[in-house]
Amino acid sequence: MRPIIEVRNLSKRYCFDNRVLANRNLREVFVKALKSPVERFYGRKPAPETEFWALRNISFEVEPGEVLGIIGRNGAGKSTLLKILSRIVKPTMGEVDMYGRPGSLLEIGTGFHPDLTGRENVFLNGTIIGMKQGEIKNKFDEIVAFAGVEQFLDVPIKYYSSGMYLRLAFAVAAHLKPDILILDEVMAVGDAEFQKKCQAKMKEISGEGRTVIFVSHDLMSVMKLCGRVLLIEAGQLLDVGEAEGVISNYLQNLSGATAN
Amino acid sequence: MMINEEASVVVSHLPEGSLAVPHPILPEEPTIKIRPASASVLSNLREVWTHRELLYFLIWRDLKVRYKQTILGAAWVILQPLLMALVFAVFIGKLARVTSDGVPYAVFAYAGLLPWLFFSNSVASGSHSLVANNYVVTKVYFPRLILPIAVVGVRLVDFLVAFSVLVCLMFYYGMHVTWSVFMFPVFIMQIVLLALGIGVWFAALNAGYRDVGAVLPVALQLWMFISPIIYPASTVPPNWRLLYAFNPVSGIVEGVRASLFGLPFNWTSIAISAVITLATLIYFVHYFCRKQDSLIDVL
Repeated sequence: MRPIIEVRNLSKRYCFDNRVLANRNLREVFVKALKSPVERFYGRKPAPETEFWALRNISFEVEPGEVLGIIGRNGAGKSTLLKILSRIVKPTMGEVDMYGRPGSLLEIGTGFHPDLTGRENVFLNGTIIGMKQGEIKNKFDEIVAFAGVEQFLDVPIKYYSSGMYLRLAFAVAAHLKPDILILDEVMAVGDAEFQKKCQAKMKEISGEGRTVIFVSHDLMSVMKLCGRVLLIEAGQLLDVGEAEGVISNYLQNLSGATAN
Repeated sequence: MMINEEASVVVSHLPEGSLAVPHPILPEEPTIKIRPASASVLSNLREVWTHRELLYFLIWRDLKVRYKQTILGAAWVILQPLLMALVFAVFIGKLARVTSDGVPYAVFAYAGLLPWLFFSNSVASGSHSLVANNYVVTKVYFPRLILPIAVVGVRLVDFLVAFSVLVCLMFYYGMHVTWSVFMFPVFIMQIVLLALGIGVWFAALNAGYRDVGAVLPVALQLWMFISPIIYPASTVPPNWRLLYAFNPVSGIVEGVRASLFGLPFNWTSIAISAVITLATLIYFVHYFCRKQDSLIDVL
C-alpha cells in the first residue's frame, strides 16, 4: 500500500546567537553592528554561533490506518518532530509529503479564553484546531455530553474546576476527525478515569481507519495502542519496528545507561 | 503548502457485518508538502482564505472579550475619539484658532481622528498580535498572517461604531453631503490596506525585537502630528506640500474629509498616498511571509 506520510531526511537546526536569541533587542543589534567592523579590524573573529541539531536525517513512512508511536527520552527531538509534522516549525532540511488532511493536538484547550463561556470556547477552540463551524455545530451536543458540563455551558470557563476545564478541552479535541491525527502526550493529564476515557477514544479513532501519530512517555499505552514504534535518541532515528521489540530494546538501553 | 479539503476517509463497500476496516483512498498528489523553503506570498494568502472562519472567530473573540471585560464596552470606542476631539476643539480650535477648512472644528477634528485612531490602534495592537498569541502560534498551525489581519478587523468594527457618532455630529451641525461621499469607502479601504501593511510589519518586528513595542507609541504620536489630523493640510506652505504628501496618512485623511464635507479633492496627494499604500502593503506582507518561520523559533 502507498504510505500516507513520507518523511525524507528531515533535519532541524536551532541557532543560539545574537540574531536569533529570544528576548533580543534592538540595542544588541546596534552594538553588534558597531562592534563587528572593529573586531574585524583587530582580527578578532565574531563569537561563533552555537547551533543545536534537534533532528538529524530522519526518514520514515506511515501506512494509512496505522497507529505509530514515537518514544524517546526527554529532549530526544520527539516534540520537534511533531511540530514539523504539524507545520508549526519549518524543517532546516528534508521534506514531508502527506496524502490527507492532518490535524494536531499538541495540547488540549489551545486558545481557550477564561472570560468566554464554555459554549463560546467550544467554537473558538474547535475552529483553532481546524474544525469547520458546521462540523462543530453538528457535534456540539455530543461534545457537551462527553464533557459532562451541560449546566455550566453559559458560565465563563474561569469559574470551571480544573477537571471540568480538562474534560471540555478533551471533548473538543476528541471530536477532531482528520485523516492524520498527530498527538503529543494528550493523555498525560487528568486522573485514571479520564485517561481510560482518552484511551477508549484513541481506540475508536484508530478503529475508524484514521492514521495516528502519537508521542508518549507512557510505554504501556504505547504498547497497547500502537502497531509500530519509532525510537528517537539525540535527534536521530535509533530504531523502528513492532511496538514490543522497540520498547523492550529501549528499556534495556535505559537500564544499561543507569547501570553504567 | 497545499490543502485539499476533499481528501477524506471513505468506507469501502463490503457486505454488512463483515469486519470492514475502512480503506482510505489516497489522493495522487500530496495534499500537504512540508519543505524548508518559505511558502510564497500567494500560497500564504490562499491559506488565509481557507482559514477565513478562524479569522472571523478571532475577531469575534477579541470583540466579545473586550465587551465583557470593560463596563463601558462599546462606549470606549466612541469616547476615545470624542473626548480627544473635544479637547482639541477647545485648545486648538478655540484658543489657538487653527482653521478647519470652513467646517466646524469639532466635526473637522473628529473626522480626522476616526481614520487616524483606526490606523494607530490597528498598528499598535497589530504589533503585539504574534507575541500575545504565542501560546496558540506554537501549538497549532494556521497562517500566521491571520493574527495581524484579525486585529485590523476588530479595529474596523470599532471604527464603524464610532462613525455613527460622526453622522450624528454632521446632522447636528446641519451639514449636507455631496456626490463626493461616494469616494468615502475608497479612502476607508485605503486606510485599511495601509493599517494592514504597517501592522503586519510591526507584528514581525516586535516578535523579533521586543523593544519595538516600546518605541512604537512614541513613533505613532509623532506620526499623528505630521498628519493633518488636528489641523488642515492647507496650513502647510505650498512648497512643502509635495513632501508632506509622502506621508500616506495625509492623503487618506484629506480624502476622507473632502469626501464627507464636499471639499475639493487634492488628487496629487491622494495619488501619492495610494501608490505608497500599495507598495507598503505588498512589501511588508512579503517581509512577514519571509520572516515568519524564523520568528516561530524564537517566540
